[in-house]
Amino acid sequence: MRTALLLLVPVLTLLICKAAGPMAQFEVTQPRGADFILQNSPTPQKYLIETMSGGVALLDYNDDGLLDIFLVNGGRITSPMQVPENFDRANPRYWNRFYRQNKDGSFTDVTEAAGLARAGEGNYGMGVAVGDYDNDGYPDLYVTNYGRNILYHNNGNGTFSDVTAKAGVAAGGWSVSAGFFDYDNDGKLDLFVTRYMEWDTQHSKDCGGNFHTYCPPGEFPRTTNILYHNRGDGTFADVSQRSGIAAKKGHGLGVAFADYDGDGFTDIYVANDGMQQYLLHNNHDGTFSEVGLEAGAGLFMDGGPLSGMGVIFQDYDNDGRPDVIVTTLPRQTYGVFHNDGNGSFSDQGNQTGVRMLSGVTSGWGIGLEDFDNDGQKDLFVIQGHVLDNVEKIDPSVHYLEPTLLAMNDNGRFRAVDPGSDRLLAGRGAAFGDLNNDGWIDVVTTALGQPPQLFINRGGKYHWLTITLQGTRSNRDGLGARVQVNGQTRFATTAGSYASANDKRLHFGLGDAKAAKIDVFWPSGIHQTLNDVAVDQFLEIREPERP
Amino acid sequence: MIGAILTLWLAWQTLSPEALQHLDAGRQAEKQSHFDVAIAEFRRVTELEPAYAEGFVDLGQSYMEHHDYGTAIAPLKRALELNPKFTPAHRLLGYALLTQGYADEAIPHLQQAQEQAALGIAQLESGKLAEAIATLQGALQKHPNDQDLLYYLGRASGMLSKQSIDTMLAAYPDSARAHQALAENYFVLRQMPEAEKHYQEALRIRPDIPNVHLELGHVYAASSRWPQAEEQFRAETKLRPGNAEAAYRLGDALLQQGKAREARQELERSNHLQPQMPETLYSLGKAASLDGDVAAAEKAWTDLLGIENETPLAAQAHFGLAAIYRKQGKIAQAGREMQEFQRLRNPAAQPEAVQK
Repeated sequence: MRTALLLLVPVLTLLICKAAGPMAQFEVTQPRGADFILQNSPTPQKYLIETMSGGVALLDYNDDGLLDIFLVNGGRITSPMQVPENFDRANPRYWNRFYRQNKDGSFTDVTEAAGLARAGEGNYGMGVAVGDYDNDGYPDLYVTNYGRNILYHNNGNGTFSDVTAKAGVAAGGWSVSAGFFDYDNDGKLDLFVTRYMEWDTQHSKDCGGNFHTYCPPGEFPRTTNILYHNRGDGTFADVSQRSGIAAKKGHGLGVAFADYDGDGFTDIYVANDGMQQYLLHNNHDGTFSEVGLEAGAGLFMDGGPLSGMGVIFQDYDNDGRPDVIVTTLPRQTYGVFHNDGNGSFSDQGNQTGVRMLSGVTSGWGIGLEDFDNDGQKDLFVIQGHVLDNVEKIDPSVHYLEPTLLAMNDNGRFRAVDPGSDRLLAGRGAAFGDLNNDGWIDVVTTALGQPPQLFINRGGKYHWLTITLQGTRSNRDGLGARVQVNGQTRFATTAGSYASANDKRLHFGLGDAKAAKIDVFWPSGIHQTLNDVAVDQFLEIREPERP
Repeated sequence: MIGAILTLWLAWQTLSPEALQHLDAGRQAEKQSHFDVAIAEFRRVTELEPAYAEGFVDLGQSYMEHHDYGTAIAPLKRALELNPKFTPAHRLLGYALLTQGYADEAIPHLQQAQEQAALGIAQLESGKLAEAIATLQGALQKHPNDQDLLYYLGRASGMLSKQSIDTMLAAYPDSARAHQALAENYFVLRQMPEAEKHYQEALRIRPDIPNVHLELGHVYAASSRWPQAEEQFRAETKLRPGNAEAAYRLGDALLQQGKAREARQELERSNHLQPQMPETLYSLGKAASLDGDVAAAEKAWTDLLGIENETPLAAQAHFGLAAIYRKQGKIAQAGREMQEFQRLRNPAAQPEAVQK
C-alpha cells in the first residue's frame, strides 16, 4: 500500500503541473513604492487628450547601475476647460513622477528632490524621451505635452534642470512621442518630436452621435512633426523646414529609428493615426524624403491605412535588417512590415501570425525583445481601446483589454500567458532589465491606473547585455548596429508609444557559450569582439580611431 | 395633346360661357403656378357646373399642386361620383389618399389607374407585403434605376422576411432554424457570444443544415478567431462542395493565418465554381503573392481590373500590382499602378486649421 502511494505521488505531481500549464514568463506586480496613478481625467466633453497619455521611461539617472522609472502624468481637466487652460500640474496628484530604484528592487519617489515636480500649469502630459544630449554621461529627459514640451538636463548629482528655454525645444501644440538620435552622425544627439494634430480644448468636439465618443483623428487637421538639430552648445535648431520633415503633415503618434537600408545614416519611422505611415529616409545631407509608399511600408498590403499608434523598428527574423511593427486599432490588425532589403518592405502580418493576434485589439506600447533568451525577439504589446464606451457601439470590442505577449518561433508569433489577465486601458510600455538578471522586464502604464511591472522569471538560456560608450559617435552609441551571434539590434531608446527604453542592448543567446560581437558605430567605425563570455553586462567603448 | 384639345372641345360644347371663362383662367393660373388663383377659379367652375366631373378633378389637382392633399380628396371623390370610370380622378385620388396615410383606401383607385409604383407603396403601407413586392418588381421593370422603387422593394422584402421569421419563431421556437435566425440577429448587433451560442445550438439540432457553418464561421472571423473560422468554413465546403462562397471564405480564413498555399487551392476552387468574382480574384492574387508566385498574382489582379476598374477593390489590385512591379524593378509600371491607386483612393478632406 505504501509503495503504491509513493508511486502515485509523482504521477499526481505531474498531473497537477500539467493542469496548471507552463509558468508565465512574467510575474506582474505594481512597482513597490511607486504609488503613481495615471490621471487622465476623462470628462463628458471627450477631449481627445484624455485618452492618449501615458508615457514611461526606464533610465539609470544616477549611474548606480539600476534602472529608475519616470512616469508621465496627464493633468486635471475641467468640464468644460476654461482659457487659459490650467491642468493643475502644481498639485502633486498631477505631477509626473520619478522613482529611483533601490538595491532591494523597491522604488523611492524622488520627483521633488530631482527637480521634476510640476510640469507647467498649461501642460497636459503625454510622453517622454531619454538621451544624453550633451554627452556628459548622464541621461537627460524630454517630456512631451499638449502644451509646451520640457527638456530636463541631468546635472549628474541626482537633480535635473529645466533647460527648455535655453535649448529652444518647447515645440508647442500637441506633442506625443519623441526620441533622441543622431541623424547627421556628428556625435551629438538630435531630437525628433511627433505631433498629433492641430487641436485645442476650445476647438474640440465629440463624435458618435448620441454615444458621445472621442473623435477620430480625421476630424481635425493634420500637423507637422519637429526635428531639432543639436548644435552642441546646449541649444537646438528647429530644422523641420530645412530637413523636409515639415513638408509632410500627419497625425503622428509613435516614432522609432533605425538604418533600414544600411547606408550608415539613421532613418525615421512615424506611426500616423488613421492614414499612411511615414518612412523618412535620411538623405545624408540633413534632409529626409518620405518614402513609405514606395518602400511598401506605408499602407497595408491591400492599400488600407493604419491607425498607427506605437511602433518598433527592430529585426524580428534575424536577417540583419530592421523591420517595422505598428500597433493599431481593432479590425485593422497590427502592421508588420518586413524589411526585404533593397530599401523595400512587405506586409507580413499574415505570415508572422500577428494578424491573427490583433484582430480585435488596440495596441499602444510595443516592444520586440527576447524575453526567453532563445535568440529570437518576442512581441509585447500593451492594449486598450481609445474609446471608453466602445462597447456601446460595437459589443465585440472592448475598452479594457489584456496584455499581449507573443513568443517568436522562427518568425511566427504565438500568444502566451503574459502573467496577468488584468484588463486595462493600456498606453505606455518601456523595456529594460530592471533587476539586472539578464532577462528583460517591462513597465507599462494604463489610464486611471498604477503602473504594472512585468518582472521576467528568467529561464535556462544565456544572454549578453551591452552598454555602448561612444567616443567619436554620440556617448551612448545611439544609432549603432550591433550584431551578436547572428542577431541584430539597433541602439535606440525610442520606439513603443510615448515611452523610452533602457539604452542597453540585450541579446538572448540560447545555448551559446560564447559570443561574437560586431558593432557598426554611427561614426563608421566597425569593431569586432570574438569569444566574448556570455551572461554578463559588457561595456564596449568605441575605438578613438578607425 | 390630343386629349387636352378634346377635353377643351368637350368643355366648350357643354359648359356655360362664364364657366368656360373661369376654367380657362384656372388653367392659365395653374400653368403659372399661381395655385391660389387656380383653386379659386376651378372652385367657381364647380359651383357654376356642379355636374362637370373634370372641374372637380382640376380643383383637386390644384389643391395637390398646392400640397394640400387632404382638401383635394373631397372634389376628387365628387368627380368619381359623377364619373366612376374617370381614370385621372382615380389616379389623383389614389395619390392623395396615399399621401394622407389612407393606403387601404388608395389601393382600388391606384389599381384602376394602373399606377404600379404608387400601388406597390400603398400595398406595402397596408401590410400586403407579397403583393407589394410583385407590384414593385413590375414597376421596376419599367423604371429599373428608380431609387424610390428600389428603396420600397428593399423595405417590402425586408418586412416580409421579418414577418416570415417571426411566424417561424412563434411556431417553432426550439427549432434549428429558430436558433439560426436568433444567431443572425445577434450577429447583426455584433453580440458575438450570443450569436455563437445559437449557431452552435442550431448545429446540434441539425448538423447538416446548410449555411449555418458558413455563418458561424463569419462570427469567428469577426472576432479574428481564424482557426475556428477555418473549421466552420471547411465544414460548409464539405457539406456543400459546389458552393463558391464557402470555398472563398475558407480560402480567406487560411490566408489570414498565413497559410498562403492552402488558401490558393481553395480560392482557385472558388474561382472555378463561380468565375470572375472580383473578391475572389483579389484574394487569389494576394495568396499567390504571399506564396511567391508573382505571375499568378499579377494575372489574378489584372483579371480583376478587367472586370472592374473604378472600385475600392480595383484600387487594392493596383496597389498590389505596384508592389509586384517595384520588387521586379519595373519602376515605370509600378509608378503607373501607384498613380491609379492614388486616383481611386478617396483622399480624406482636411478640415480647416485651428491653433492652440
